Amino acid sequence: MKIEDVVCPFCGCLCDDLVVEVEGTRVVNVENGCTLANEKFMGDHRLKAPIRRAGNGWEAVSYDEAIEETAAILLDADRPLLYGWSGTYGEAQSVGVHLAELLGAVIDNTSTVCHGPSIMAIQEVGHPGCTLGQVKNRADVVVYWAANPIEAHPRHMSRYTTFCDGFFVKSAFRERKVVVVDVRETDSSQVADEFVKVNPGGDYAVLSALRAIVRGKRDLIPPSVEGVSREQLFRVADLCMSAKFGAIFFGVGLTMAQGKNKNIRNAIELTEELNRHTKFTISPMRGHWNVYGSNEVFTWITGYPYAVDFARGIAFYNPGETTSVDILRRGECDACLVVASDPGAHFPRACAEHLARIPTVQIDPHVNATTHLSRIQIPVAVTGIDAEGTAYRMDGVPIRTRRLFYGNYPDDLEVLEKIYRIVREARG
Amino acid sequence: MRVILKTRPREKPRIPIEAEEIIPQNFLRKNEITVFHGNKEKSLDDLFFVTIEGPAVSPDQVEVILTGDTGVIKRVGEYMNAGRIIIEGDIGMHCGNFMSAGEIIIQGNADAWLGREMRGGHILCEGNTGHYCAAGYRGEKRGMRGGMVEVKGNAGDFAAEYLSGGEVIIHGNCGDLPGVEMRGGTLVIGGDCARPCGNMTGGTCMVFGKASQFLPTFRANGSQEVEYAGKRYRMNLFRGDVANRGKGTLMVRA
Repeated sequence: MKIEDVVCPFCGCLCDDLVVEVEGTRVVNVENGCTLANEKFMGDHRLKAPIRRAGNGWEAVSYDEAIEETAAILLDADRPLLYGWSGTYGEAQSVGVHLAELLGAVIDNTSTVCHGPSIMAIQEVGHPGCTLGQVKNRADVVVYWAANPIEAHPRHMSRYTTFCDGFFVKSAFRERKVVVVDVRETDSSQVADEFVKVNPGGDYAVLSALRAIVRGKRDLIPPSVEGVSREQLFRVADLCMSAKFGAIFFGVGLTMAQGKNKNIRNAIELTEELNRHTKFTISPMRGHWNVYGSNEVFTWITGYPYAVDFARGIAFYNPGETTSVDILRRGECDACLVVASDPGAHFPRACAEHLARIPTVQIDPHVNATTHLSRIQIPVAVTGIDAEGTAYRMDGVPIRTRRLFYGNYPDDLEVLEKIYRIVREARG
Repeated sequence: MRVILKTRPREKPRIPIEAEEIIPQNFLRKNEITVFHGNKEKSLDDLFFVTIEGPAVSPDQVEVILTGDTGVIKRVGEYMNAGRIIIEGDIGMHCGNFMSAGEIIIQGNADAWLGREMRGGHILCEGNTGHYCAAGYRGEKRGMRGGMVEVKGNAGDFAAEYLSGGEVIIHGNCGDLPGVEMRGGTLVIGGDCARPCGNMTGGTCMVFGKASQFLPTFRANGSQEVEYAGKRYRMNLFRGDVANRGKGTLMVRA
């Protein structure tokens, strides 16, 4: 059976034009998808049933037993951490937040290791952003700063920028100018009209220099700023100021580099300066599928987008203090529930070591690096394949994902609701 | 009055204790003082051996001494407005948040957000301090507004972020972006630092060590002599950050 207009469950682009062929409970072909999408749909590394650590190995347990033990671990903890959430859908994330409040836990999503600093900068100076549709139809200058879309978001350029014609940009390839700023040459820099190579950690200074140029302080700029010549800075600033509509997209190369949220703030303030001359927008290249949705869900329930600490019964937010990496590195938490992400593969070693020391439970369809740190793993349906729900695209547009077939697994919502019910009963 | 709080041994010693009620005026009122151990609210006696010596009729006559395993205790001295707190070791995050008067002496190291958004009073840290020393809370437009923070050792990144008033003296080195978004007050750095005063709009920062990765958006503005630690130094003067309004003063040792 061929299913059209399927939403991809991999990256923040949420491409919604895929055609997927299904045979029974298996995807056999994907059209329009990138390599990442194909792997996501066709990959087959799913855990068959819940498992629990037993001595040096694992034993199979029932769903009910795994869920009851998970609830008991969380109830027993003085500082539980609920981490992940970006690979699942809004309805399940919502139950996660309510569970955290009931437990007095810290709940955090994968923004903590990607665009958390972007959110902090937005909280300081706002967000002159727009939807990807606006970029596609209007932008004649596109800047990718510390992002490599060809590898990380393979269809971003073909759906929205470089290779995509728009309503006011009839021949994108000729009319759109693309600038790539990065510390090294990448596949994306190969297709750029202008490649700006910045010294590692030098983005903040280059952004400051561009702001000064846009403010008319050209005389102050030294011959070279962090490896970028004055002439090239002038050229890029002129290109941006003469654009009819410009769009900056930035990646984790900027958020996770020296300066972190201050880099993003500087980029936003550059965008604001450019808006004195023309229309310019800035947007983060959100990576992990529904990470934007987790920020939305957390915010509408708690007021904060990630790193929310309910230990005192009310929501408290302070990245650096209530973020998962920091909590784990300091060895604060005494139990962890990981949902729809893989901190074992992405967190620093000290954090992974602490996850292995404490009772860690993972709710995830696949065997991954976190499996090896966990005490229990509960396999679930994959959202967008055998579960449906709401996810947010990287520009904040909500999209309903589809269920392609009915499989044998419960979905995240079902499992989390069962845990929630047990905890609520225990807490009265 | 002297209040001595010695930490009791804990089964899970790395779980933070949130103790904003440990301020001199609370010991005068004789109300029950509670603290949070993770997600559990406890009485002060559950986590500390408490000894009280002598009388006091006003908060400025109260001296609180914290001793034992104090490095994970957060928010000590928050909203403090009189008296003195002496910490005979390290202290956790947010020590002296919003304090308006009184004195805190930390004989060890202080964790991040020391003296966050303080309005007055004096904090002396004899060791090192973490990131965001004398800075603002997330999204806040003004950091420290008055009083004095003195750190004898080193400070982490973003020291004195959003500094709006008062004086911050770091005798050792600072990390990245000290004085970032600074808009008033005085920041003195005795040692080295990186990228001082990015995006500053006001105030004065003096760097007596080396300022690495100096930002290109500061305009040279002559030199002058300044006294620090009993010696006089010739300082190069800069005005900036011109990426912003550029009305701050940055001095770096010549």
